Amino acid sequence: MGDILFPLVLGFGFGFALQKAGLSKYNKIVNVFRFTDLAVLKFMMTTLAVAMVGVFALNTLGWIALPAIPSTYLVGNLVGGLIFGVGMAGAGF
Amino acid sequence: MLSLLKQKEWSPYLAGTLLGIVYIVSIAVAGIIPGASGAFENIGGLLAQAIYPALANNTYFKFVMPPGITFAVFIFLGIIVGAFVSAKLSGDFKLSSVPDPQWRRVFGTSVWKRWLVVFLGGIVLEFGAGIAGGCTSGLAIGGGLFLAPSAFIFIAAMFISGIPTAMLMYWRKY
Repeated sequence: MGDILFPLVLGFGFGFALQKAGLSKYNKIVNVFRFTDLAVLKFMMTTLAVAMVGVFALNTLGWIALPAIPSTYLVGNLVGGLIFGVGMAGAGF
Repeated sequence: MLSLLKQKEWSPYLAGTLLGIVYIVSIAVAGIIPGASGAFENIGGLLAQAIYPALANNTYFKFVMPPGITFAVFIFLGIIVGAFVSAKLSGDFKLSSVPDPQWRRVFGTSVWKRWLVVFLGGIVLEFGAGIAGGCTSGLAIGGGLFLAPSAFIFIAAMFISGIPTAMLMYWRKY
C-alpha cells in the first residue's frame, strides 16, 4: 500500500507546486524561451537549490544514502535536450 | 494558511521550495529521483506490449525503461490530482481546448491547430527525454541537484533549441 500511496502523495505535492507556480499554463512555459517571463527558471533553480541543500545535509549527517545519479553521456544528453527543447517550446508543457 | 492555499499564483520561489521538499522526501524515503516523463514511457511500453509486442522487444524497453505500473506512474497520477486540487482551491480551474490568452491572441482560436501542435510537440518532447535520459524534472532538476554534468548539458541544450523554436513561432506576431 505504501508503495502506491507514497508516490501518489509525492505526485500530489509535485502537481500542486507546479500549478501554484502557474507552470500548468501555456504562456508561462513558452515565455521562458522568449525571455518575457522567467518563472520557469526561477522555479526550477529554487527547487534544485532547496533539494541540493536538503539531500546533502541529510547525507552528511549519515541519515540517507545518495540515489543513482543520472549518468552523463554527452551526445545523448545533448541531442536529447535539443529535441526536447523543440517539443517543450512548441507544445508549451 | 488557508488563504495561502487559495491564492491563484505563488511566487516561483515559494512553489519551487515546495517542490524541493518533495524531492528531498522522495530521495530520503524511497531513494528515487522523482520525474514526470518516465511514466509516459512506462505506460507506452505497456501499450506496445499489449498491441504489438515486437515494438516493445528492444533494448530500450528491456533494460532502460521497462514497461509497467511503476513509481513514476503513481507520481504522474498524483500530479494530476495535486494540480486539480490546487486549481480548484483557487478557483483557477476551467476546461478549455485552446489556452488563453496568449495563444488565442497570436495563433487564433482554431482547436485543431492547437491540438496538432500539442500532439506533435508532446511526441518530440518525450522522444527527446527518452534519448537524454530524463526531462526537466528527472534530469535537469534531479541530476542538477547532484551537480551531474548530464543535467547541465541537458538544460543548455533545451534552451539552445527552445529559444529559436519559440522565436520562430512568434516571428513578427507578437
